[in-house]
Order: sequence, then structure tokens, then C-alpha cells
Amino acid sequence: MSDLATSAVRHAGAAAVPDGWQPQIVALVCNWCTYAGADMAGTTRLEYPATVRMVRFPCTGRMSPLMILRAFEQGADGVLVSGCHPGDCHYVQGNLVARRRFTIFRSLMDFLGIDLRRLHFAWVSAAEGHKWARVVKDVSAAVSAAGPLPRPLATDGWEGPVLPAAEGEGPREIPAADSVALRDHLRRTAVELLESGRVGVVIGHRRGSLPGRLVPVMAATAAECRELEWGEGAVNNLVTYAATALKGAEKAALVVKACELHALTGLIREGQIARERLLLVGLQCPGVRPEGGLAAKCLGCSGAPHPACDLLLTPEGVREGGSEAPAAANDDARDRQIAHLESLPADERWLYWQRQFARCLRCYACRAVCPLCYCSTCVADKHRPQWVPTTIDARGNGIWNVIRAMHLAGRCTGCDECARVCPADIRLDLINRKLALEVERQFGAAGLDPGEKAALVDFRMEDPEEFIL
Amino acid sequence: MDRTAWVLSETELRAWLQSLIAGERTVVAPVAEDGMVVYRPLAAAERAVLEPRGKARWSPKEFLFPRTEALYSYSFKGDAVTITDPPPPERPQVLFGVRSCDAAGLARLDEVFLSGRTDPLYAARRESTTVVTAGCAAADPECFCTAVGGSPLGEEAADLQLVPLDDGWLLRVLTLRGDELIGEAAAGWSAAPAGSGERVAALEREVAAQIGRNPVPQEWARVLEGGFASASWDRLAAHCLGCSICAYVCPSCSCFDMNHDANAWCGEQCRSWDACTFVPFTLHASGHNPRATRGERYRQRVLHKFAFTADGEAHFRCVGCGRCVALCPAGLDISQIVTAAAAAIQEEGADAAR
Repeated sequence: MSDLATSAVRHAGAAAVPDGWQPQIVALVCNWCTYAGADMAGTTRLEYPATVRMVRFPCTGRMSPLMILRAFEQGADGVLVSGCHPGDCHYVQGNLVARRRFTIFRSLMDFLGIDLRRLHFAWVSAAEGHKWARVVKDVSAAVSAAGPLPRPLATDGWEGPVLPAAEGEGPREIPAADSVALRDHLRRTAVELLESGRVGVVIGHRRGSLPGRLVPVMAATAAECRELEWGEGAVNNLVTYAATALKGAEKAALVVKACELHALTGLIREGQIARERLLLVGLQCPGVRPEGGLAAKCLGCSGAPHPACDLLLTPEGVREGGSEAPAAANDDARDRQIAHLESLPADERWLYWQRQFARCLRCYACRAVCPLCYCSTCVADKHRPQWVPTTIDARGNGIWNVIRAMHLAGRCTGCDECARVCPADIRLDLINRKLALEVERQFGAAGLDPGEKAALVDFRMEDPEEFIL
Repeated sequence: MDRTAWVLSETELRAWLQSLIAGERTVVAPVAEDGMVVYRPLAAAERAVLEPRGKARWSPKEFLFPRTEALYSYSFKGDAVTITDPPPPERPQVLFGVRSCDAAGLARLDEVFLSGRTDPLYAARRESTTVVTAGCAAADPECFCTAVGGSPLGEEAADLQLVPLDDGWLLRVLTLRGDELIGEAAAGWSAAPAGSGERVAALEREVAAQIGRNPVPQEWARVLEGGFASASWDRLAAHCLGCSICAYVCPSCSCFDMNHDANAWCGEQCRSWDACTFVPFTLHASGHNPRATRGERYRQRVLHKFAFTADGEAHFRCVGCGRCVALCPAGLDISQIVTAAAAAIQEEGADAAR
């Protein structure tokens, strides 16, 4: 690391504290327990620091991370979220769902380099005036120790951390003759599916205008099917196109890589797509090379077509698939990179992400390519109120990138399309993978079973809560 | 002494760049950041990425038309409202080593922000900006400047031009402002030898020959506009995913949205980049959206680049940098789509005539 870098990091860690500075803390509290608890603290004449501004909500379950992010964006040095104890929720389970969300949000903020002394959660009941006073004292002391919220810093010239290379063998190479055979199987199969009327459209890849790059096509004619291609340039996750294609056809054939199948599982689980309207065509995959090198997601993959596909295409021929075998998760080559980032001081992580978020153009390509981003109106496009500022700078970019990650926590299936298309090269894949790991660690394996609920809309009474005051 | 062209070694070029950085101007140049090349204010000459080919990930337009800027700010104190204008640009700036297509994009922005009603914020920045282009010695696969009337060594909007030679750089003065930027720096430089002009012309032909795309004829502007109601737009845009990479990396896209960034005490009226490919771009408060479909939105983008010209403009708004082609998540290629649209529209017209 250069001297410049070290000094920038030191600067971030040691912001000058003005004389007489008092932290400004926003407390998001639930109406039924903590608000009444704070009221109790007042009526019993308890003293606590006047550093907290309270905002009353119906329930912690209503508190989106957006509200916490907005508080920080508006200059709060710390945020405290507080509501009913587990089992006491006025709405039965609001706080239990919120607890999972906070757990993941907290680990995301830590990963992004936010000092966790700024972010606190507490259960304070209507009778616990004393606890409220103690919580405010503790939180106030912690935020004071963290100091004023660091402002965005110039990272010009900072070399940044060197992440360990993602390593792995990747799929076996497909010899040229086999590639041709595979492509011919694909074209013939597609034409047959279309002409037999089994499907109305085939979603696949065709040659693009740049060398080596294939582009998506929704082929509705035999002629288009005869132009289908397959290979290392087939980078797009075509699951993204499934809903569009099904608007014009009763059933669609979908060319799908093993890594993309999970996205489909997610959509089925969330009631967005009916499995019987798709005919899945799995092909032996050579791995994809978006920018010359093998994509990180391919490093731990064998490239074999997934047995759950209806048709399995290998150079040898076409087989019927459709087995019930669950999709197996690959070892992820990026876990070492995540571990490396986690080993750095929080200030350095903050610089690392801050520089990437500063480049964000807010083109929303990450959202556009994501198969799991299907909201008819994205929260970023809602403006009453405008939770995500449309300003393309530190104000809006951080909030957008954090809330995008949060909405995909426990849902992202790791196709890495967002990171591939990001024109600003933000390592969205690392953020998504980090949250997937965290969800798995805290709440058990992210289910690839369509019948299972996504982790962040579910809860268990015994979910971990060590961080809650 | 001839004050029109010199041949500079890499060392001389960097030394001059360093002296510019030390001077009164902010120097913006391509630099490497996290493995990509972007335009940034330069702290040291050695950080500039000055290559005979390739381009920054996106255009330098944000230094004249920022992603977000406050048009005014306001604050309340009791009943009193204070409104403050944004500060004028502190220092003049040099855009150094921008490609010819990027500079041509600035000329397109000038048409939007300086013709008719002048935009004072843009005008103040533009007035204090000197543009030093770096021509291309090779084309990338996505490049198509020659197909839309540009050139890899185009001079539009450039005050000075660097031409990459095998043995250094040819520096050409194109405007008075460019000459001012050089000032006394030229004292030790060697004047360009006779025949430099031919070398430049030969290089231009060589690079142009690498660009494989067919020229877009000027008359297609009318064809495309005439085909506004064509059924082909939906088909051509079928794979567009509705992000705005194309518009935000584009050197000539100039659309913006207005928004308040405010709290109870103070706020700013901001304008931020916006793009026609977004659904809310034309969404009315009533809920009606005049461009409700993907095809209608993408048609707007194509027509705004290739048709819809103000009177007297005899060029396309697309400058052929090809960034949108290289970065489109769905692999849409605007030059191919224009060709396909024109063909489809002419076909439909012929059908109707029959």
C-alpha cells in the first residue's frame, strides 16, 4: 500500500472532533413498547442524555433499512432501533421478522466498513423506563466514542487492497468439434420444439456484433432457431427474459446454465413464474468469459447440464432430464476475497466501497439484469416519499447500493449478472455473496427448494440476537 | 517559429502535463482506478493513461454537465427564506487526452446547452474549459465514429490535438485557446517536420479502414422520423432491459431530471442525469405514461441520436464512440438497429405503396 493510502485511511479513522460536540442519534421506536417505555422514563423523572431524537413507528417490522440509511444520510452520527421483546409484538411477529433483517443489515454495514458503534438495536417494553434510560446512555457513549460520522473522502491515488485471486479449475474445455455438435443439437432441438408446438418461443443466445460475444434472443421462428449459438460468450442469464417471453407465448423453452437454475427456483418460490410454462434446456457449459477471463462463478463448476432440466444437451446427444435432484451449491472462489476484505480495518473497507459507490452512475443496470428484481415499481423509483435520493452522488449512491443488496439478501442466487454489467465495476458480486454467506451462517442453508420461504421473510423464535441490547 | 505543430517525446509530453497541473488549471485526464480507466482530476502527470488506443469507460461530459448539480440552494430561518446561487467554477479546466469522439460529444452538448436559451452553469464551465484531444492509432471493435461522420482524428471541439506517432506524439494547435494553453512551454520542443500532415492523413485512413460498420446515410434521419409509427420498434427493442448504461456513458446524451434534496430547514434544487430508457422518464403525475412500452422508449433514444435535429444541424447526435454497444447488458448495437430500422421502415413504405 502506498503512503498516500495509509494517510487516507488514518484520516478516515481519526476525524477531528469539534469542541463540545455531542452525537446526534436518531431512534426509530415502535409505538406500542419502546415509545411507551420512553414515556415511562419521562414520567418517572429518569435522566438520560439529550442526544436522541425519536421517530415513532407502528412496529419494528415496519422499519426498513432505508429509514436507517436516510438517517445517516441526513447527518445522524448513530441510529438506534428499538421495539417490543420477542413474543410481545402487537402484530404477533413483526419484531421477529425485523430481527432477521437487522441481523443481516448489521453485517452488511460492517462489511461496508461502517463503525458498528453507530448502529444499535434494543428491546424495550412499555414498562422498561429504566432500561430505556440505560440504553440511551450506552448508545450515546458508544456513538460518542465513534465520533462524528466521517464525510466522504477523496480516494484519488489510493491503490486499494489487493484481493487474492479467485482460483479454481472451472469446467472442462469443450473441443471445437464437440462445440459444433452441441450447437447443432441446440438448433435442431429448438426447431423441433417450436415446430411441434411444444413451445411458442425459445429463449437462447445468438451471435452479437462484437467478437466472441453472444446476445439474448427470444426466437419465435425456425429461422431464428437456426441461428442459435452456444459457448463462452453466452454470458447473459436468460431467466431475466422468461417473464417477457411468456407474455407472448403459453410456454417457452429456456436455454439455461446450471448457475442460472437457482434464479428460476427463486422466481417459482416467490410465485412469479409457473414451472410448467417453461421447458428447460440444459447444455454442457464451457464456462463464460465476460471479459476474456473465466467468470469467478465458473471456477467451482463442472459445466455439466443440471439434471433438473427437461432436456440435457451434451456433445454426445440429447437426453431427457427432469430429475428431482436438488441444485447443489458450488464452492465459491470469491470466499477468499470476502475473507480478505473482512480481515482489513473497517476504515479501509469503508474507503474500498466508498470509491466504488462514488463511481456508481445509477444506471440501474444491476436491477435491470437481475432475474430476482421484478418489482413493478422499484423503491428507487418511488417518490412519495423519495426514500432513495435521485442525486447521483454520495447521498443517493450509497443508499441505492445498500438497499439493492438488502432486497436480495437471502434471495440472490449468485448468477453475478449485476457485477458483470456494472459499468462502474462495483463488486456487487462480493456484496451479494457476503450476504448469502451471512444468511446461511445465521439462519441455515438458503433453501433451493421452491416450497421453502426466503430467509428474510421467515423467522424462528430462537433466532440469534446477541447484538440486541 | 512555427506555432502550429510539434513532435513531443513521451517525456516532454509528461513534463508539459506536469507543468499544466502545477498551473492555475484543473487538469482532467484518463487515469486507472480499480482496473478501469476513468476521467479524473489529475494529481500527477505520471498517473495519466495516454495510450494510442482505447478509451475511458465513460465520456468526460460530467466535467461540463455533472451527474448531479444544485441549481440553487435555499434555507429557512423563521419566515425568512434565503436563496443562494451555486458558486461559479473556481478554476479553469483542461480536458486532457480525451478521444475525438468524446470531444465531438461536447460539441453536441454545446448545441443543447448553449444554443437558444443559454444554460448559465454549463456556459460558465464550457467557457473555462480547454480541450486537448488524443487521436486514435487503432479502432476498438465497438468503434464506429466514421459511420456517423466523425473521424478517429477528428478536430471538432478540440483546442489542441495529440496524434500518436510511432516515436512520440504530434501536438497540433487548432484554436487560439489551445495556443494560450501552450504559452511558453513550446520553447524547447522540436517543430513538426514537413510531411507531418501526410502522416496524420495516412493514419486517419488506416484507422478508418479498421472500422467495419457501414456509414449511416444522412437521409436516414428523415426515413427514421417518418417511421415513427413503424411496427418494427417493438421488435428491435424486444431485448432492451430498460437500464440507462447507454445514456450515461454516452458523450452526447443530455437529458436530466429535476429534484429537491431537502429537509425541513434547507435544501437544494438539483438536476441529475436521467434517461429515456427509464419508465418514469415520461411518467405523468396522473399515472399516464406516453411512452408506455419498451419499443416507444427505445425508439426515442434512436430517434434522438439519429433523427430529431434542430434546423441547420447536419449531423447525427451519435458520435460513434461505441460505448453503448460495448456495455449494453443485452448486447444491443445501436448502429445495427438504425440500419435494421431504416430497412424495415423502407420496406413497410414499399408495401404500403404496393
